[in-house]
Order: sequence, then C-alpha cells, then structure tokens
Amino acid sequence: MALDFHAVGHKTWRTIASIQTGVVLLILVVILAAVGTIVLQRPVTEPDEMQTAYSPQALRILDTLGLTDVFHSWWFLGLMLLVSLCIVAASVDRFPNSWRYFSRPYKYPDESFRRALHPQKSLAIADEESGLVAAERALHSLGFKPERVVREDHFGIFAERHRISELAVYIVHASLLLIFFGTIVDGLWGWSGYLSLNDGQTSNIVELHNGSKRTLPFAIRCDAAGQENYKDGTPKKWWSKLAVVEDGRDVQKKEIVVNDPLLYNGVRFYQASYGPNGKVDKFSLLATPSTGSGAQQEIGLAVNDTVSLDADTTVRFAEFFPDFAVRDGQVYKKSNYLENPAAHMVVTSKKAGKNFDVWLPQIDEVADNSKAPYQFQAADLQMGHYTGLQVSHEPGQWGVWSGVVLMGVGLAFVFYVVHMRFWVAPVRDPKTGKYSLWIGGSANRNRDAFEQRFNDLVAFVEEDLKGIPSTSPGKQLATVVSISH
Amino acid sequence: MARANAEQQQPTTGMTLIVMVGLAIAFLLFMAFLNVVKSGNLLNETNLLFAALIFYSGAGALYLGFGVTGTESYLKFASFATWLGLIANTAAIAHRWYESGHPPFASVYEMLLSFVWTLAVLTLVAEKKYGVKVIGTVTMPVAIVGVVLMQLLRTEVHPLVPALQSTWLHVHVTLAMLAYAACALSFALAAMFLIQDNMKTETFLAVTSASTLAIYASVVLTRFEKWGGLSLVAWNPEQKSEVFLSRGVRLFVTVPDLGWLMTLTLLVVAAPLVCYGLARWKKNESFLTFANRAVFLSILLQVMTLVMFLVRARDGRYPSLDADGLFPTSLAASPFILSGLVGGVFISLLYLLLLWRRQDLGRLLPSADNLDRITYKTICLAFPLLTLMIASGAYWANQTWGSYWSWDPKETWAAITWLVYALYLHMRITRGWRGRRAAYFAIAGFAVVMFTFFGVTYLLPGLHAYA
Repeated sequence: MALDFHAVGHKTWRTIASIQTGVVLLILVVILAAVGTIVLQRPVTEPDEMQTAYSPQALRILDTLGLTDVFHSWWFLGLMLLVSLCIVAASVDRFPNSWRYFSRPYKYPDESFRRALHPQKSLAIADEESGLVAAERALHSLGFKPERVVREDHFGIFAERHRISELAVYIVHASLLLIFFGTIVDGLWGWSGYLSLNDGQTSNIVELHNGSKRTLPFAIRCDAAGQENYKDGTPKKWWSKLAVVEDGRDVQKKEIVVNDPLLYNGVRFYQASYGPNGKVDKFSLLATPSTGSGAQQEIGLAVNDTVSLDADTTVRFAEFFPDFAVRDGQVYKKSNYLENPAAHMVVTSKKAGKNFDVWLPQIDEVADNSKAPYQFQAADLQMGHYTGLQVSHEPGQWGVWSGVVLMGVGLAFVFYVVHMRFWVAPVRDPKTGKYSLWIGGSANRNRDAFEQRFNDLVAFVEEDLKGIPSTSPGKQLATVVSISH
Repeated sequence: MARANAEQQQPTTGMTLIVMVGLAIAFLLFMAFLNVVKSGNLLNETNLLFAALIFYSGAGALYLGFGVTGTESYLKFASFATWLGLIANTAAIAHRWYESGHPPFASVYEMLLSFVWTLAVLTLVAEKKYGVKVIGTVTMPVAIVGVVLMQLLRTEVHPLVPALQSTWLHVHVTLAMLAYAACALSFALAAMFLIQDNMKTETFLAVTSASTLAIYASVVLTRFEKWGGLSLVAWNPEQKSEVFLSRGVRLFVTVPDLGWLMTLTLLVVAAPLVCYGLARWKKNESFLTFANRAVFLSILLQVMTLVMFLVRARDGRYPSLDADGLFPTSLAASPFILSGLVGGVFISLLYLLLLWRRQDLGRLLPSADNLDRITYKTICLAFPLLTLMIASGAYWANQTWGSYWSWDPKETWAAITWLVYALYLHMRITRGWRGRRAAYFAIAGFAVVMFTFFGVTYLLPGLHAYA
C-alpha cells in the first residue's frame, strides 16, 4: 500500500498545531530550564569548581547529556525551534477563522443565532421606526456608530467596537516569534567578549567568551580610567575615557560608565571592571651616594627605564612585584594587588664594570643593598590601572526590542480591549400584530462587565421609548469601556 | 502581644475584643512614647516601623476576631488600624528614601519594606472594592512577620553599587513588586475559591500538614548536626553581618539540643498527614479525628520550638565544627528559619480557623463564581506586569552587562514563572479551564513566584546577588 503523504502531512500538521503539543513543549521547556539553574553551568562556573562539585563520572554523564550547558545545547535550541514551529502552526491553523470573523462582520443575525444569544431583551414599541431611532440614540450615547442594515429578509441595526481584539492573540504570538528571531540572529551573527586596556593603551583585539580572538576593523584607546568611592570605601563609579581610532584618526570619543556604554558601528563597549594591572606607572626614588659625599637626588622611573645618577653610574628599574613572596632565593609574584610590593633595581658602574642588584625593601636572601654605590629610598609609587570592557555585537537586538514593544501592545489588546457587538431588530408578532424591539449583544471576553453595559443600554432605550428625557448614561458607561477590573 | 489577646478572647462577643486590642495598642504606644521622649528623636525609622508593627498587630487581631466570630464591627476597627499602620509604613519608606537618596528597593530589608506596604494597600483594596472581607486574616499576619523580619534584617543605608545606579532599577523592581503582589493576591483568592467550592476540609488538612512538614524537613535535613545540635550561621554583632570563613563560605555554629526538638516537631507535624493517608487508605473517617487532634498537638509543639529557637538563637555563644572557640549567633543570621517557623504556626492556625468556622467563612466570602472570576482577572493583571518586568530587566541588563539575556538563575526562573502563567491563560481561554483546576494552577504559579523571589536568591548563585 502506498503511503498517503497527504494524510500523513495533514496528521502531522494537526499534531503540531494542537494546543496539547504546545502545552507539552512548554512544560518541557520549564523542566529543562529549571534543571539548567540547578546543575552548575559552564562556562560561568570555573572547571575546577565543577570538579569539586561533582564526581568525575557524574561530570562526564552531565557533560555528555549537555546538562552542564543547557541553554547552549543543541537539544535546547531544537526545543525552542519546535516551540516556535508550534506557535506558527497553531496561529496559521486558527488564523483563517479569526480573519473571517474580522474581515466579514456578522451583521445579519439569523433566527437560531438570535435565539441562542445571551444577553438579549425584547421591548414593546409602537412602530418600527421609533424603536430603531431610540436604539440608535442609545448606541450613539454609548460611543458606538450604529449602522442600519437592510436585506430582503432582515433589517435592523448593527453596531460594534474594537473588532481588532479578535486578532490580538496573533499580535502576541507574532511578537514572541520576533523575539525568537532576534535571539537566533544574535546567536548566529552576534558575539561578545572582553577587552582589557591599560591607561593610554590602544587595542583592536577582543577576547571572545568562547576563547577565540576577534580583530575589530577599528581600535579603541583608553585615555584615562578611574574609580570613585563612597565615604565607606565601597565603589561608587567606574569610568573610562575611550576613543575610537579608525585609519589613524579619532572618530569618536566618550566617557563611559557602568550603565552607559559606547556604541560604534553596532559594537558596544561596556564598563565591566576596573583595577590595578600590577604594573608601575611611575616610581619615585631618593638616591644618596653610599660614600656619603654628594647630594641626594630624586629620580622617577618606569619599568625598564634607565637613568644616570652621575657620570659613571646608571640605575635601571628591572622588575616590579605588587605582591611578592620569596622562595629558594627567588622572588615570585603572588597577586596583582598592591599588598606587599618589591622593586628590583640594577645599578651599573661603568668604571668598575659591575652590576649591583638593589631591592626595595631589602631582601636578605636575594641581594645586599649596601654593596651598591648608591642607597635608595622609595618616595612615591604610582600604580597603573586597567579598565575592563565588555564588548558585544548584537545585530538581532532590534528584533527583540520591537518584539517586546509589540508584545506589550498585544497583551494590552488581549486583556483590556473587548470586541463588543450589538444587534437591534424590530419584530412583529404575527398573532397580535404588535411590534417589539429585539436587542442582542455579545462580547468576546469579560462578559459580566459587558452584561452590565447591555442592561444599561436597554434601560436607556426603555426610557427613551417612554418619552422621558433620560439622563445620559454615556458617562457612566464610558467607564465600563475601559473594562473594569 | 495583641494577637495573643485575640486568641484568648476567642468566644467573646461585642466590644470586649475591640477594647482589649485598643488598650493593648494604647499601652504599647505609650511605652513607645516614653522611649521616644527619652531618646528625644520622634520620627526615625525604628519608631515608625514599631508603630506600623503595633497597628498591623492590632489589625491582625481584629481581622482574626472577625474571621472567628463574624462580628461586623471588628472589621471597621480592623480597617482603621490597617490604615494607621499603612501611614506609619509609608512614613518609614519616605524616611528611608530621604535618608538613602534612592527608592527603597536595593536590599532585602528595603524590598520587605515595600512588600509589606503593597500588601497592606492590596488588603484595603480587596476589602473595600471586592468585598473580600476576611483577607486581612491572612495578609496581616504576613505583614507582621514581614515587619518583625525587617527589625532583624535592619541594615544601615548602603550606597548603591555602580550596576544598580540606573533608572531601570526602579522601573524593574516596581514592576516586580506589583506583579508579585498580584500573584500573591491571585493565590489567596484561589485558596478562598477552594473553600467556597466545598473542597473537603481534610484536603486542606493534608496540604497544611504537608507544607509545615516541608518547612521542618528542609530545616532538619540541611541543619541537623551530630548529637542533636542545629547549625546556625555565626553572626558578627559589631559588623552586623554573617561571619565568613572565606569568600562565600559562611561559618556555622552548633546550637545543642535544638536539632532534637526540631526532629520531634517534624514527626508530630507529619502525624496529621499520616492519619489522613490512613483515613484514605482504610476508608475510615475516625482517623481524621486523630488527624485534627494531631494538628492541635503540632501547634503546641511548633510554638514551643519557636520559643526555644527564639531563646537559644537570639544571642549566646556556641561552638563550631569548623573553627575553634565560641562564636555568637543572632536571629538576624537565620531569617529564613525564623520565618519558616512562624509561617508553620500561622498556616496551622489558619487550618484551625477553617475547621471550626467553615460555615461562617462561607458566608463572609464572595461566591465561588465571583472568586473564580476575580482570580482570573488578577492574573490578567499579573501577566502583563510580569512581561514588562522581564522586558525592563532585559533592557537594563543590556545596558549594564552587555547582554539582554544571560540565563542567570533569576532570569531563568522569571521566564519559568511567565511560562507557567502563560500556560494558565492558554488552558483557561482555549480549553475552558475553570474552577478547581484553574485554582490549582494559580496556586502552583504562586509557588513558582515564591521560589523565584526567595529560593533563587538564597539557593542558586548568580548575577542577581544584590537581593
């Protein structure tokens, strides 16, 4: 038997478009997302933290299943695509019906529709015209635009409002797809990384979060960066003065702070961190000849600078340790923080043809400062700082933001805009020959508030028919328009 | 104090309760006034909060009295006390705002301040606009617990760290507070719907027992130490902060014997659930009588545990397993155990109220249909607020961290909350879910909200480390 492709396709379509599939998929998303918050995730968690948290076997299983990076795994992406597909299918499946409803308003209620309609009411009237005029007046006062409808088998009044409400749910679904689209664009063409600059440094190489490097077509220079503190010492503000350099020219300058990035060619530079880079900007020293004769002089040095102290002697700033430790006669760097600094100078005497190591402070295991022809005393130390920039390129974010705005609009329509319809028709009782005015109404949501409004309309028509000039219920009813909650 | 009065005076009629509560409030205010005169500083935050606490307690007692006896006159005075509490609360917020220069959303303490305020406002709205009169019976005790927690979590005014210096902070947090408060309201309404919908009292019994059991089980499982001790976080009274061994690793002290008491209470709290299970299994109603007695017993034990906890954990120095010497602890170091214990007593008392006065409650609440509809409307309000909260958070994150979505646990759980309510709306609109099923869904939704609000902050690590 040949496979009936059409039937299979139809069945698949029905399955995808069904609300059950949607619900199952959403529940799956909820469960997997929850798992992704409970299991530690790479690359946010450092590898050694992962190893202390899980046994090697458990870690291998978690890694194989992709549970250590749920939100970037292929199956989570696949699931999100399935959800999108389901939203599209469900919308496409239901849209024609709603569109018919929207494009061809139902103006001529037939007999069975009228019988089943709730709420409805019949009022006694003298003749057809006076009844219809009264109803028109009532509808006008409610802010509707009543329309006389005439056909061979039916004549009466039709009035409606907020027909767009029937399509609101599609606006919400479309906005969700727009957001998904934006994130997918960002996933494919977007990137984000980190750029660390010292004062005055220029760079165009961004270290991406996946470990690779990206070269920008322009460079960023940090002119200055700094931190301001509150009185209690907690940081108040980090700032960096950045310049964009393209073809050797400064094309843009901006001082960025946290929450206020620099944008150039779709690439954003955010202030992410600030701190000492462990390097010396300028080291000021007081040098005194060891012989005791000769004046004390002040010199300023950066690392690797050489300065002449006299005709014979020079001093070179060889090494700097912001936080040092000594082991086996060697000096090591413990951290980049200025906790326990040490400076290494080399004093050269040409005449003697000798180099003397000088350490500040004196480190006995390494060198003896007193042998050098000059004695040094530290006067001032200016440390260099780096500014850490988060760099990202998100070409899809406009999809996301327009999706968010659209969703806000859509939700407002879904919850607070009601499609209301009123039908009015004069009816002649074939037995008695007397006329009555039939009024019916329908609303697509918030029916209890609508029923109140319907009753007000009927009351207004009744008053009008009695010939008593009624106080306009328009004002009172207008508050119901915005749908009370 | 005032609440204790209300419970003793349960069957009294007429003015007795009002007079008792009025006298209690007057007495407390007088004592507070003496204190103020001594310190010479009237309008500071502590005094305002204390006043709010007194008024909320009075309101809670009167609402409870109203719930138990159904006397309408209690309600008038309860609303009045709530109004006064709200004024004091508003003044406290204003004072805090003025002092710190930013709206009170930056720490757990400040969030609680705003939360209690929102709760009081919603109570008055629900009472006046929707006629849900007994709602104060539930919300006022929550507000009282909130204010007490605030006294413990009192923090100095901290300046804002750079990442929080954004207008979006206020937009985001205001939306979050509004959305969560609407979710809380929908939860309370759904629970009332279940009462009006003639859900069996023993089902409430099982739920009550299961929730208190969960509270004690989580405390015992995570904090029970060798030889019956209970681990509590050490507290440094000078710095008013927890003691850290290294970054992110807190020092625990062991309070002796509290562990056994907790375990005993755990067993007694589990008893009603076991009896309920037996009644269902053996189809024997007489087990339910045992179950109700067990609830009574469990309340006594829970109160005892609470008192012991308050006495032992308030101060005193205890040994630690991780370091030599004795270390102080404080109630402020264990706010969640404390609120768990208070919450347990509160849930059990609510069950007793239901057990004894079900008929009256039925009379005082709006009809089941109305409650169902109001629940739905509240969620219709909560859902757009949740959406806007997530959107504003994403926009702010994009301004600060350079990425609008980072799958940080708080973000992820906010998205999960959103999805749960989206499911509710779909089931309701397209599948016509009404009544019980919708109510269960609303309750589950609120459980997720609570986890997002508290659980994620304290259990899962992430970027939202501020609060």
